[in-house]
Amino acid sequence: MKNKMMRLSNETMNIGFVKKVESLSGSSVRRCFQCGKCSAGCPMSAFMEHPPNRIVRLLQLGQWERVLAGRSIWYCASCETCTTRCPNKVDLASIMDALRKLSWDADGPSKESYVQLANRLFIENIRTYGRQYELRLGAAFNMKSGQFLKDLMLGPKLLSKGKLKMFHSKNRNIAQIEGIFKRIEEMRKKGEAL
Amino acid sequence: MSRIGVFVCHCGENISRTVDVEQVAAAAGNIPGVAFSCDYKYMCSDPGQNLLKKAIAEHNLTGVVVAACSPRMHEKTFRKAAGAAGLNPYVCEMANIREHCSWVHENREMATAKASDIVHLMVERVKKGKSLAPITVPVTKKALVIGGGIAGIQAALDIADAGHQVLVVEREPSIGGHMAQLSETFPTLDCSQCIMTPKMVDVANHPNITLYSYSEIEKVEGYIGNFQVTVRKKARSVDESKCTGCGVCIAKCPKKKIPNEFDQGHGMRSAIYVPFPQAVPNTPVIDRENCTMFQSGKCGVCAKVCGPGAVDYQQEDTLTVESIGAIVVATGFKLYSIDRKPEGSMIQGYGEFGYGTIPDIVDGMTFERLASASGPTGGKILRPSDGKEPKQIVFIQCVGSRAREKGISYCSKICCMYTAKHTMLYHHKVHDGQAYVFFMDARTPGKGYDEFWRRAVEEEEAVYIRGMVSRMYQKGDKIIVMGSDTLVGVQVEIEADMVVLATAVQPQEGADLLAQKLGISYDKYNFYSEAHAKLKPVECATAGIYLAGACQGPKDIPDTVSQASAAAAKVMTLFAKDQLERDPVVAKVNEKYCVGCFACKKVCPYGAIEEKEIKDRQGNVVKVIAYVNPGVCGGCGTCQATCPSKTVELDGYTDEQIMAMIETL
Repeated sequence: MKNKMMRLSNETMNIGFVKKVESLSGSSVRRCFQCGKCSAGCPMSAFMEHPPNRIVRLLQLGQWERVLAGRSIWYCASCETCTTRCPNKVDLASIMDALRKLSWDADGPSKESYVQLANRLFIENIRTYGRQYELRLGAAFNMKSGQFLKDLMLGPKLLSKGKLKMFHSKNRNIAQIEGIFKRIEEMRKKGEAL
Repeated sequence: MSRIGVFVCHCGENISRTVDVEQVAAAAGNIPGVAFSCDYKYMCSDPGQNLLKKAIAEHNLTGVVVAACSPRMHEKTFRKAAGAAGLNPYVCEMANIREHCSWVHENREMATAKASDIVHLMVERVKKGKSLAPITVPVTKKALVIGGGIAGIQAALDIADAGHQVLVVEREPSIGGHMAQLSETFPTLDCSQCIMTPKMVDVANHPNITLYSYSEIEKVEGYIGNFQVTVRKKARSVDESKCTGCGVCIAKCPKKKIPNEFDQGHGMRSAIYVPFPQAVPNTPVIDRENCTMFQSGKCGVCAKVCGPGAVDYQQEDTLTVESIGAIVVATGFKLYSIDRKPEGSMIQGYGEFGYGTIPDIVDGMTFERLASASGPTGGKILRPSDGKEPKQIVFIQCVGSRAREKGISYCSKICCMYTAKHTMLYHHKVHDGQAYVFFMDARTPGKGYDEFWRRAVEEEEAVYIRGMVSRMYQKGDKIIVMGSDTLVGVQVEIEADMVVLATAVQPQEGADLLAQKLGISYDKYNFYSEAHAKLKPVECATAGIYLAGACQGPKDIPDTVSQASAAAAKVMTLFAKDQLERDPVVAKVNEKYCVGCFACKKVCPYGAIEEKEIKDRQGNVVKVIAYVNPGVCGGCGTCQATCPSKTVELDGYTDEQIMAMIETL
């Protein structure tokens, strides 16, 4: 995918998707002139297959599948260094947020990346327990990703040091947390929230 | 006995760092004929010059040597100071101990010795030097402007408004040049013809301007202030004095299917035609190669329908000789063609773009005509092959430019901006279309320029792709454009309906031949060379000839107009004086000994050597000898070195002086 030839035409350039990103992020994509300062300062750039400037470049060409297929948007730590330093007022951190949101809604196509899965399980965990129950998160992730033995040997160590709790402790105000989730869901239905 | 003064400059530390200036001054004092020597921190400063003036008066000096920087830097300064102190300025010489010594050496001892030697040389030269007087030449206050594009028009109007006579010579039937062809102009998108045609009319109506359209320069003789220019007025076959410009002849001409050059060959014109409706002068011209009357002798419709009887098939080229004081060259540019070029040509064609065989691959100027309201499509953007509106249009920058392998290594400067403009014009006219631009760099240094191309990208939805196109080919009615996006790092393929190439700017056809007639220098691309890249950007090395516009290098309209006005100002400066003063460093012939072999004439790069007849009292020619025209002589000394009988000598550099210098070593 990464090096595949681009065929550019009105059909292959998904300008509708780019407009969505622009309206969600409140930042222009076209304004970027590819100086690369965002990628130069990004702490996660080295781990991304598309550094931040190339994400914007792909958006300029309406290449939404290439953007969403990779891990880059999930590796973004939202540190906002890019936004702070951009000479052209491109709010890259917000664009990354918008992309993650759109990827979530589109349910992929970031299948090759487990980052999205981890994020989804993390949020579900919060909704169920009102706080993080790491043991379950780890177990669920390993099951769903099919990597049953991933990081298994770390378990006893973490347990013995008290970093991992064997049993969960539910938040007392779990009903209120459920209320927050419900409210956001409703706002999203009405289009008032991301 | 000479009484020479030697003044050694420290130039701050520039000289004194490597040269022991005190020692140089002391050594100079011991040279026979030197009456005074000293050193000073800054000789060129006011106190330094006063020191020189005072010494001339006190020591009654007969000559001065200033050991300092290059004469190019301060010779004028010190000669003026010497002149102010009552000395002939031409017995004041500079010994260059900075550029020729302190700056290029490290060993102090040896540098000091060399500096002393240089000073000694100059002292000997000044000893044998003569007092000289500046040469004066009269100035004919009439300017010639070659080329009637925006550069020529601007220069002509400026000079004419200053009250001087101007002759404008234009090769084409109408003035206006390339600017008249443009649709809109960057960065304001105002209509080119709307701002151009009033100026064209001004030229035609100005009482001080004489317009020679459809004419070429035949011969140029003479020198600054006194050129003799022969203009060939090509046969128009229409009498300008009779023609009223009614246009009946054009309407009635039976031969109407001739590609119109003004529309880059995309519109049609008749055999008798004006290039475009706003042409100045509005007098038709007969294209003899395509006219039935001239080819077969049968037709003559235009002559029959012409009321005033202006059509004249018998008209011939006429030659006019004009006396001219200054020349502004404003011959402009042409666009590079991607066609296959003849073997041996420096400029190569583009095989990967089909050598110009794909009809819907056009150049920028053609796109201008397609977008222009007065163009062949009435301002609709339609592709040449089938007249369809292109929905996917690709623009490619740097075609020919910055491509050393294709023969051109320079940047054409205007293409980034006009391509941005093209994408906007396209977007304004084809709302559902998409414009793509392949570019290597966006170079937009100008007032409001970067904002302009950013507007094309951000607001006018042009997709800019940083990378070049490697190949294009026709597939059905599409053109497959294969390029790359170097920012993403992938190949890009676009099925385009039309492709516009921003081809390189080249000097006008025949620029080299005109330069040879004028005696001005040009570079390997045939762009005319300015006298100094920074400090004399509008002057030629040949005095009295000035440059304006794209004939000197690629330029946009604002730059061209600025340079044209600058050239006009230089002409006005020249015309402000009745007599021209110049350095008397010119060659002179000793008439007694010259045998008239004219070896000097063959080598003179300025054409300054003339033949002079020596007559006896009865008026019989005794001998023909060489004569150096002091107005033309550039003082290079080539004749002096060539002369077998040693009769030509350059003032200030006579054999006697040079020998005396050599003997000190």
